[in-house]
This record gives sequence, C-alpha cells and structure tokens, in this order.
Amino acid sequence: MAATAMDHDGGEVVTPGELLGNSSLLAGLGAYADGRCVRASITGHRRLVPPPPGSTDQRSTVEVVGHKAHGAVPQPGSVVIARVTKVMARMASADIMCVDSKAVKEKFTGMIRQQDVRATEIDKVDMFQSYRPGDIVRALVLSLGDARAYYLSTAQNELGVVSAQSITGGTLVPISWTEMQCELTGQIEQRKVAKVE
Amino acid sequence: MEYVNPLTGFRVDGRRPNEMRQLKGEVGVVARADGSALFEMGNTRVIAAVYGPREVQNKGQQVNSKDALVRCEYRMADFSTGDRRRKPKGDRRSTEISLVIRQTMEASILTHLMPRSQIDIFVQVLQADGGTRAACINAATLALADAGIPMRDIVTSCSAGYLCSTPLLDLNYIEDSAGGPDVTVGFLTKMDKVTLLQMDAKLPMDTFETVMDLAIEGCKAIANYIREVLLENTRRLECQRG
Repeated sequence: MAATAMDHDGGEVVTPGELLGNSSLLAGLGAYADGRCVRASITGHRRLVPPPPGSTDQRSTVEVVGHKAHGAVPQPGSVVIARVTKVMARMASADIMCVDSKAVKEKFTGMIRQQDVRATEIDKVDMFQSYRPGDIVRALVLSLGDARAYYLSTAQNELGVVSAQSITGGTLVPISWTEMQCELTGQIEQRKVAKVE
Repeated sequence: MEYVNPLTGFRVDGRRPNEMRQLKGEVGVVARADGSALFEMGNTRVIAAVYGPREVQNKGQQVNSKDALVRCEYRMADFSTGDRRRKPKGDRRSTEISLVIRQTMEASILTHLMPRSQIDIFVQVLQADGGTRAACINAATLALADAGIPMRDIVTSCSAGYLCSTPLLDLNYIEDSAGGPDVTVGFLTKMDKVTLLQMDAKLPMDTFETVMDLAIEGCKAIANYIREVLLENTRRLECQRG
C-alpha cells in the first residue's frame, strides 16, 4: 500500500506503481487503471477529487500531483502558441512553443494549411497575407498530422496572430481581424489576427 | 579459488550469499537534463540522464505515431574498468546493453500518453565492478521518475549467480569473472512481473529457479530503496517550495 508520509499537504506521497484504489475510483492525472485497480504513474501526492454534482458516474477521481512534470506534448484539441518559421503558398510551418499555457521544453513542429487559416472564403486564402515568418500565433491542434508536423488551425475568432513585427521592425498593433498597423510608421499589413480578449 | 568460505559462509568481500552490496541513489545530478540520477551498487557507479518527451529527431525511427519513441545510449567511461581502453562507439556489447535497457524501459513507460514524441535515456558507467547492466537499469528508472515521465511501475534489476554450489546475489566483478552462470532479472515489483531475463552459461532448471527467485528478491529490495529515494526527494522539494 502507499507509504505513510507526514505531510502538511494531507495527501500521502506515492511512487510509480503503488496501488491507489480499486475500480470504485476513476484514474485521473498521474494515475492509470490496471485491470481492476488504479495505480500511480508518477511520484507525488495522492489526492481524491469528489465527483461533480449531477454526473451520472458517482465515483471519485484519484489523482497524483507531482512536483516535477515532464514537458508538455501537444494533443488534438490543445490550444498552442507557435512561432511561424516558414510561409509557403499553401501552408505555413510553425514551431510550437506553449501548450495550454504550459511551455514546451523542446520545440514541436506544426503546420497551418491553407484550408485551416480561417473559416470563411477558404478557397481565397492568401498565405502571405495571413502570416509572416516570426509571427506569434495562437492555434488549435487539429490532429497529429502527418509524419512531419502537427496540423494546426486558426479558423476561429480567438485564434490567429497575437504578436508580430512589421518590415521596419516596429510592433504591429491589431486594428481589425485582417489588418495590423505599425506603431512606428503607420504602415498597415495584412494578417489573420486573433481576437483580443 | 574459494568464492564462498565453506566454514563461515562469507563471500570474498565479506557478504553472505543472499546479501546485496551497498546501494546509493541520488537524483538531480545533471542540471541540464529533464531527469537524472546517480546510482551505486557497491563499487559499480552509473549516471543516467533523461531528456524528453521532445520532438522525434530521426523521423524514420518513428514506427507508429501513437506511442512515444524510447531511445537509449549506453557508454562505459574509459577509466571505468581496471584496464584503460578506448572502445569505439557502438561496439557490440554497448549496442546489446542499450537495446536491453531500451526494451526494459519501454515496457514500463506509458508511451501512449506522449504520442509522436521521443524520450532519450543516456547511461554512462563511471566505475564498473560487476552488475553494470543491472545498475544501469536502476539508474535509468530513477532518472525517469525524476523527470516525471509516467510509468506503470518502478523497474528494478538485479543479478544473481551460482558458485560453489551456492546461489549468490548481486555478483561483483571477481565473482562475475569466475565463469559461473550470471542471471540478470528486470522486475516490476508492485505488478509482480518480470520484464527482463538474461543468463549466460548453463544451469539445471531447478537450480535456475532458485537463482532467479534470489534475483527477484534482490529486485524487491532495490525497489524499496528507490522508493525511499523518491519520497525523500519529494519531501525535500516540498520543503524548498515552502
């Protein structure tokens, strides 16, 4: 069974493989189901989360809160922050830097295809008027993609370019969902801009 | 040469046949690694570093994109053995032990949680005195736990031998060089599963069962020690965090 620990956190400290409970509990973060029992998969504090009110499954969720989590891995459905590295006629390449507000320790390669830039007028998207190399983009991970890159999408109002620099090096300020203006020169440049929250 | 004193029952280094060498484990020894560990079994000293999960660098090695790719590199330092010799990188023994460590860790890591990523394990033997591959597996599992990689269980490994009609636990170099059988077992202690089994030389089946059981007992003892190291590290981190 789990080791006894005198911690002010209240939860006992468990190590990988230790038994957390049987099938009357759901396996949450840091735990996994092994047949009819739930075991810890990382080192950390055991924590019991009561079921949300009104849910059909009345089982509690057992979690393990670790002090040191491994770097984030993009999953389908994650919102990521990426830096555009290359813009081509039908796609843009980007390095994923953050996953759901959690920094990636080493970069993952993502790709924004032409049909995923915006939700309207998909056929008329011009990649060079949507992104430039160096832009910081908020995007949604569509899928694991092909062998080379994750498929990213910015076809929502909240997704798109969040930070960019103009040709002259000044910071670009969003003025609409398709345009940004340079602070220094007033030059207007075309981008697929994310909605400011 | 007598490896077990028939009168007193002691081995050449003063241990009893079922006694383990002194264990010492330390985590966080490599600052730039995501997880690292230093592990000593007697005079065998091994350092392990884990990087990842990170992007797969060699795309051709990615067999399927549903699981993380585990890679391992094993090296013996030139000064780690009695004779200082320069081995070329990728010699036969290093390749074999790298593959053994990789397969043992792959069975334990929950690879499906990190699709299309790569976990690199680097293991270096600083001082060799028998049982190096068992020490490497223990160091790697400690480094993986330090990195926060989700695992099914803590994999531990231990070797056992059979000399002078006596099963011996945790062979040192002298006993390993005696030419007798050497059994190495990798074990998931909480799940009670064997993930690695290697042996050289010959043994009758019933004697082999006895030697293997002894090695499994050694694995359980090592697992208890590794859990203590991890718990101590967690408490220390908690105190630092306030």
